[in-house]
Amino acid sequence: MKVYRVKAVMLRHAYEVRRNIDRVTDMVYWPVLDTIVWGFFTIYLAHGGRSGGGLAGLLLGAAILWGMFYAFQRDMAVGFLDELWSRNLINLFSTPLGVWEYLCGLIVVNLFKVGAGAACAGLVAWVCYAFNIFPRLPQFVPFIFNLMLFGLALGVFTSGLIFRYATRVQALAWSFAGLLMPVSCVFYPPSTLPRPLRAIAWILPTTHAFEGMRQVLAGGGFSAARFWQALGLNAIYFALATVFFRWIFESARSRGLLVKLE
Amino acid sequence: MLLEVRHLSKHYGNVLAVEDVSFGIEPGEILGLLGPNGAGKTTTIHMLLGLITPSAGEVRVFGRSFADHREEILQQMNFSSPYVSLPLRLTVMENLGVFARLYNVAEPRRRIGEMLELFGVKHLSDKPISRLSSGENTRVGLCKAMLNRPRLLLLDEPTAYLDPEIAWQVKQVLLAAQREFGTTILYTSHNMPEVERMCSRIVFMHHGRVIAQGSPIEITRAILKEERSEPALEEVFLRVVRLQEAS
Repeated sequence: MKVYRVKAVMLRHAYEVRRNIDRVTDMVYWPVLDTIVWGFFTIYLAHGGRSGGGLAGLLLGAAILWGMFYAFQRDMAVGFLDELWSRNLINLFSTPLGVWEYLCGLIVVNLFKVGAGAACAGLVAWVCYAFNIFPRLPQFVPFIFNLMLFGLALGVFTSGLIFRYATRVQALAWSFAGLLMPVSCVFYPPSTLPRPLRAIAWILPTTHAFEGMRQVLAGGGFSAARFWQALGLNAIYFALATVFFRWIFESARSRGLLVKLE
Repeated sequence: MLLEVRHLSKHYGNVLAVEDVSFGIEPGEILGLLGPNGAGKTTTIHMLLGLITPSAGEVRVFGRSFADHREEILQQMNFSSPYVSLPLRLTVMENLGVFARLYNVAEPRRRIGEMLELFGVKHLSDKPISRLSSGENTRVGLCKAMLNRPRLLLLDEPTAYLDPEIAWQVKQVLLAAQREFGTTILYTSHNMPEVERMCSRIVFMHHGRVIAQGSPIEITRAILKEERSEPALEEVFLRVVRLQEAS
């Protein structure tokens, strides 16, 4: 073994970290994010949060619903990245296909994908951990619908950023939803957060959806207020995301970026 | 005119990609768009497909403004370039199936079979795109380009990566489409003898501008400034490039 060759390999990967934001995301973003989320959860438990069987259901239910939201946001962006990676964008958009038709097709196929993934996760939770989410589904569906809408808005927004900055920002496809996880109060109520973060939490549809889910699991029934507040916020975010996407798509065409994306 | 390009320009800030380009194509004509690398040919093609918004000028296809009738115009156009690709994990048949649906082709499987047969790639129909050679990829791209029986076909270097025998076959298919169905073709290539044989007229671009247009012999005389009895586009090309280097 020669030290200079080992050094050469180290140098090669050090350059990669400097040049590739994906590597920085893996290196720093995820460990920090996990620490923040589980730190808040620890605070919740330390301040007398529920424990025992109720806690297990809360965690599993939240994990399944968050998984759906995350998958929907990720798959919207990755679906678009697939076209970019395979250099197929020029082929697609030189057909009569419109950009909104493309998005609609992507949304429908992602609904099936996310539904299949969530069904598998629900079955595993039932078989392995005796947590049956299926009887609660009718009360969860309105919140799942809101999570999907918000995932869609974020997916459209992320796809817009990829249109502008290409694969340089592809890490956003996997990491953007994660950024919202600590303030979406997935595993703990908003009261766990410091006051300034609470204000942010309440403007996110995810917070209302997870609060609504916790109310269902605690036996408090379906919260119409949480549903409508989440839906109202989603309408705003979805409108902003589509305006942003339209603007960035036209800007990409004008700047010739559509044919240079890679 | 089937295609009319009027005073088309594209600037990126201070960088001029295409400047005041005008030309037209008659129905059933094969027009060559020539020029050295960076002349603005590909940018012009991308503007004709609506992939790049022009800074100025107008494109009219089938007598209609492209800006106002994009969808119905693209329904009757198609495009092929060896420099773009199809999704790599999908098979040839799956990829062409997607495009047949995008163009709403009647009896898609039959039409795809016909195209695969025509370009000699039927045996590849179940192979993923990632396992094809460059020449096979080019021919599958041409199958995609002919799927919807386009009235106007934009071909960016359609014989790049093809060996002479396959290139000859491809040219025969294109000439047959022009002869039998009246397909109008805009053709770019760096193979000058091929352009002389295929194209009745040529638009020669340089530094984003049209510097000459006409038949191959007219272009030869205009740029070489000599009386010639045969077209010599290779010489024309080299003269333009050397002038570019000298300046």
